[in-house]
Amino acid sequence: MNTQAIKELLYKMADDLLIIGHRNSEWTGLGPILEEDISFSSMAQDKIGQSQAIFQLLNDLGEQEPDTVAFMRGAAQFHNARFLELPNGEYDFSLVRHFLFDHADQLRFEALANSSYEPLAKVAKKVKGELKYHVFHANTWLVKLGQANENSHNRMQAALNQAWNYALGMFEESAHEDALITEGIFEGELALRDKWLATITPIILKAGLQIPASNEWQPIYGGRICQHTEHLSPLVEEMSEVFRYDPTAEW
Amino acid sequence: MYGNAYIDPNDKAAQMIAGEDPQKLAEFEARIAKGEKIEPKDWMPKEYRKQLVRMIEQHAHSEIIGALPEGTWITRAPGFKRKLALMAKVQDEVGHAQLLYSAAETLGKSREAMINDLITGKSKYSNVFNYPAFTWADACIIAWLIDAGAIINQVANAKGSYGPYCRALDRICTEESFHLKYGHDNVVTLATGTPKQREMVQAALTRWWPPIMHFFGPSDKISNHTEILMRWKVKMASNDDMRQQFLNMYVPKIWDLGLTLPDPNLKKNAEGKWEYTEPDWDEFKRVVNGDGPCNAERLAVRRNAEERGRWVREALNTTESKYIVPLA
Amino acid sequence: MIKSLDPRITRAEIDLENPIDPLKELDQWETYEVFHQKRRGDQHMHVGIVHAPNAEMAFIFAKEQYGRRGLSVNIWVVKTRDVYSSEYDDSDIFETVPEKQYREAGGYKVMEKINKYKKGV
Ligand SMILES: [Fe+2]
Ligand SMILES: [Fe+2]
Repeated sequence: MNTQAIKELLYKMADDLLIIGHRNSEWTGLGPILEEDISFSSMAQDKIGQSQAIFQLLNDLGEQEPDTVAFMRGAAQFHNARFLELPNGEYDFSLVRHFLFDHADQLRFEALANSSYEPLAKVAKKVKGELKYHVFHANTWLVKLGQANENSHNRMQAALNQAWNYALGMFEESAHEDALITEGIFEGELALRDKWLATITPIILKAGLQIPASNEWQPIYGGRICQHTEHLSPLVEEMSEVFRYDPTAEW
Repeated sequence: MYGNAYIDPNDKAAQMIAGEDPQKLAEFEARIAKGEKIEPKDWMPKEYRKQLVRMIEQHAHSEIIGALPEGTWITRAPGFKRKLALMAKVQDEVGHAQLLYSAAETLGKSREAMINDLITGKSKYSNVFNYPAFTWADACIIAWLIDAGAIINQVANAKGSYGPYCRALDRICTEESFHLKYGHDNVVTLATGTPKQREMVQAALTRWWPPIMHFFGPSDKISNHTEILMRWKVKMASNDDMRQQFLNMYVPKIWDLGLTLPDPNLKKNAEGKWEYTEPDWDEFKRVVNGDGPCNAERLAVRRNAEERGRWVREALNTTESKYIVPLA
Repeated sequence: MIKSLDPRITRAEIDLENPIDPLKELDQWETYEVFHQKRRGDQHMHVGIVHAPNAEMAFIFAKEQYGRRGLSVNIWVVKTRDVYSSEYDDSDIFETVPEKQYREAGGYKVMEKINKYKKGV
């Protein structure tokens, strides 16, 4: 097994989930209606829980404790896609991001359920039910708001336009792509991106929305090689604030 | 958490039942005396309905506003275990608001009307949430001791007479037991941890003690009015009794950890009653009436949340929707 | 703008002075009654309501509000307005005379006859 390649795959997944989980948790207590607040918080918890499971796999491969790795690195050591660190904005953007990310996430885990790297395959199978709910939630909201009234349609379309190139950035290839594919660990980012496009396109159309024209696609990469927007660093600092107050302590 | 709504002491007992059909009133009181619950569509005295709406509504507001001081630490909670637990706890509080608004709705006040009364400041919520959670330890003290106070109140109210409120409280109390354990675990971790952690938790406890002593409200004036509310099982325990129960259960646990409380007069006397310095009720009133450290922020945040969510709610409002008071 | 102790609030850029229009009627949508089934074989139990704009979202909300802990296999949601309910004032319609032993198992006692028959044989 190519441990280096596996670690890189695990890091980007764990960081994606950790950061989107934190962003989504920022809505807790502030959501558009109580019931949705509860649902969205559950999904944020799921994301952070899934991230923990993957940091545990990294720990099993010799990396430090999940808490240390997740909460004590600086922004320049994070591998999440830039898309996920962007501030929440309004609920339209948060929902569109949730839709675009969660489909990618579900397809990624679906593929990994057959990974030759068994510990990861195990985790992937375990989270199947959670992801099914997340995607059902995302699809329902997108389809309803996409065509509910003019305002909601325009907002969702604008959010989709704003999100699109960032979302494409989720599929930034790694230097280990070939190793992952030939060893049967993971099908690779390009294959995942094709599946993702095939899955989300009909849903976006059903919502009465349009995917930006493909000649305008310019994936925003950089996250996978730890180059981030200015938005990540304040969040990462918050995440470690209490630990840093007394690094010798158990919290 | 936090069902410590207090009942307007200026209402006169006689006014409470003025104009009520004596026969129906007698049947209503007999039902409660037998230990039976009142259900939404039952006949009930106007005052019973009014007091319950006020109480349940204030309780609901307290849950949703209470999500804010603890939410302060969501992005900063240290480590996976604490983070996930805090997220789940704050989520539960939002869920409690949902359950309680639903119970109040069965009495005929819409959720919209209740939210409007909250954000305009017309309706109150538990005063403790007008204080800030400065440090992680503040969030831990809230989770332990404010939830502990809330549980005392909620367990009492769960034996009240109004079916939908009792049902909501039964479910809420189950979740509160997780909150209490979570809060205690946190405080114990800090108190038995490093010197910096101990200092942090002691400072938070000192800060929170006055609001905690305020939590159950001033001593009730014993009047015919409160007697009727107790007979109707709207008010289930006096504020002082609940405060005594709280002190009795938690002061020893606090002292066990070697923490100190900022009241030199706090002690259990020979009759087993707790003595303490009378809390500053002027400060309490001042904060209830809007002049606390966080009142303005809390309401501004609520208004902002309602406003930012409005387009979402409006978009999905269909013309054929029709509001019907929930059944149970 | 509020500079809050809560970084989430600071990021949300909230004005301290922000009067808003009151919520209108139906702003919070209508309500659905939620029925929850713990395990296969159990009855669905009424557990409460959710406010929702349509049935799918009522389900999405009910799943987390009423099913996020413990066991669940199924949920029904029904618009409150579609539920026909009897009146508590009419609960005496459930009362009946006790002389209806003919439809209770306890109303049938055959041992006496059997014993009498056996003695006679
Ligand atoms: Fe609560
Ligand atoms: Fe609580």
